[in-house]
Amino acid sequence: METTVGVQEAGRQADTVVARVPRARLIVRRFLRNKPAVAGLVIFSLLVLLAIFGPFMTQWAYDDLDFTALRQPPGAAHWLGTDVVGADMFALAVHGLGRSLLIGVIASLGITVIAAFVGTAVAYFEGWPEKIGVWLIDMMLVIPTFFMLAIMVKGASGTSGWLWLTLALTLFGWVAYARVLRAVALSLREREYIAAARFMGVPSLTILRRHMIPNLGSILIIHTVLGVVYAVQAETGLSFLGFGITPPDTSLGVLIRAGSGTLLTAPWMFFVPATLLLALCFSMTMVGDGLRDALDPKSASGGRA
Amino acid sequence: MLGFILRRLLNYSVMLFAATTLAYFLASSFLNPRSNYLQMRPQPPEASIDLSLDLANVNDKVPVVERYFVWLERVVLHWDWGVSPQGEPVNAAVAYRALVSARLVLVATLLAVVIGVSIGVAAAIRQYRMFDRVSNVISVFFLVCPTFVLALLLVLGGIQFNDWVGSRWFYVTGLGEGGFVDYLQHIALPTLTLTLVGYVGYHLTQRSYLLDTINADYVRTARAKGLPKNLAIRRHALRTSLIPTAMGVVWSLTSVITGSVFVETIFAIDGAGKYFIDALTKNDINGSVAIAAMGGFATCAGLLLADVVVALLDPRIRVS
Repeated sequence: METTVGVQEAGRQADTVVARVPRARLIVRRFLRNKPAVAGLVIFSLLVLLAIFGPFMTQWAYDDLDFTALRQPPGAAHWLGTDVVGADMFALAVHGLGRSLLIGVIASLGITVIAAFVGTAVAYFEGWPEKIGVWLIDMMLVIPTFFMLAIMVKGASGTSGWLWLTLALTLFGWVAYARVLRAVALSLREREYIAAARFMGVPSLTILRRHMIPNLGSILIIHTVLGVVYAVQAETGLSFLGFGITPPDTSLGVLIRAGSGTLLTAPWMFFVPATLLLALCFSMTMVGDGLRDALDPKSASGGRA
Repeated sequence: MLGFILRRLLNYSVMLFAATTLAYFLASSFLNPRSNYLQMRPQPPEASIDLSLDLANVNDKVPVVERYFVWLERVVLHWDWGVSPQGEPVNAAVAYRALVSARLVLVATLLAVVIGVSIGVAAAIRQYRMFDRVSNVISVFFLVCPTFVLALLLVLGGIQFNDWVGSRWFYVTGLGEGGFVDYLQHIALPTLTLTLVGYVGYHLTQRSYLLDTINADYVRTARAKGLPKNLAIRRHALRTSLIPTAMGVVWSLTSVITGSVFVETIFAIDGAGKYFIDALTKNDINGSVAIAAMGGFATCAGLLLADVVVALLDPRIRVS
């Protein structure tokens, strides 16, 4: 008995001596210690700034054609050169970057919301609803998602086509994530607080929303960040094949498609959008990995927080 | 074992059937073969358009469920996957293209498994040392790099290499017509692209799973009994860690199949992936569904193979 009191005393004293670090600041601190992650965040911020303010940095709009400068290498008038019809490469790349970013972020958010609900719901309802849910998820993954996406977005065209493409990416992208989230949520469903909520008569949907999903918080954040990479890759891939975004609108995929035809004669048409795409995917992956380490209480950086 | 395989086979067959049905309805609602004719100048009369669409069983004036059952009956009873809107049979077009793609995907997958697992094991044994760090950085690059950018970079690299050497070592279009060496020269870069796409998954999963088992008690016991480190890892840790990797084959296979669509388009290889893209461009419902079903079949074959491998490796699974 005495020892317990002693320990509590010591604990209380320790609390006053050791400065308590709020969880948020702890996470930020752990994230900032991860150099690749910080580099990723810096690159990503620069890309976002470029996408937002880039159009104001040049006199050319992405659909302006300069007929006196066809397929010009990078120079003073056109910083990053021009394409075969005389459009400014910098303006094109900035617009395409913005388009790809917008699609990637919106689709990733949508995917996370759907996957969180479906994944936890399938884990939460035991018995035959779970069996059917798992079977349906596996069934939707049998045919590679990309094939289904390609069939669906083939018809999308014009400047509003990007919204349609975002919708399609969301509709098919959540399946694989829901599968992962279900596996994680399986252990949550056995927790006491879930059982308590259930016995108190809380509706199932409320349990999912209030107790299951918030406890997946860190995984959801990581998946949202990495989901941007998935969505951007899918979007640029489809646009590269000639589906999805189609001219006159442009995205990084459309630009790389145009550049692939002039790989040897006008390499800047390929390298400018390809570099931006690689930088985008790289930075998001680094940020995602950094967040994983920072948010995971069991991560290797343990005692040094 | 046989009963287990048969049960799985049945399950995957039903899955494949459901997924293909889904693909058929998706293609029927999003592809519009009629628009092919509406773009023609001079425009053919409507009755003529209807007739050719009816012949291909893709007329949007016929209810989609009715078309589906006609299509299903032909596929199931006669193994006839229909015709394109222009009237070319899908079966004949897909048959040899499927072989081309299957060979490409199979060779790349085998190479990816061998290379990926070897690097993963080597990296796990040398955790946090030079080899581990360097291989990790390289793999992250291939993980992040989209397939089509990687393929284009390799095209450029191949051409640069040819210029540098002064003779043509690598060809970047088609499959060639000459002998075996010519074929190798054509297939090298496409296979390399798909191998690089596929190996990353094996490397990263194999490394983390082997690290999990290397520190397990039973490996330490084996070491304590005097087994050399490498032998202890090979006999006790590796076998357990191969189980999750075998399960992961399927998801890597999916990315290689998807990648083959890009690779065939970029390297102008006349395979199933390129046919799929052409079929979509031509609003060919039957053709695109046939390729989607083929992709699904490959995934199911991979799933079944993974089940068998896991059952053989994992002593905890008793299949009787």
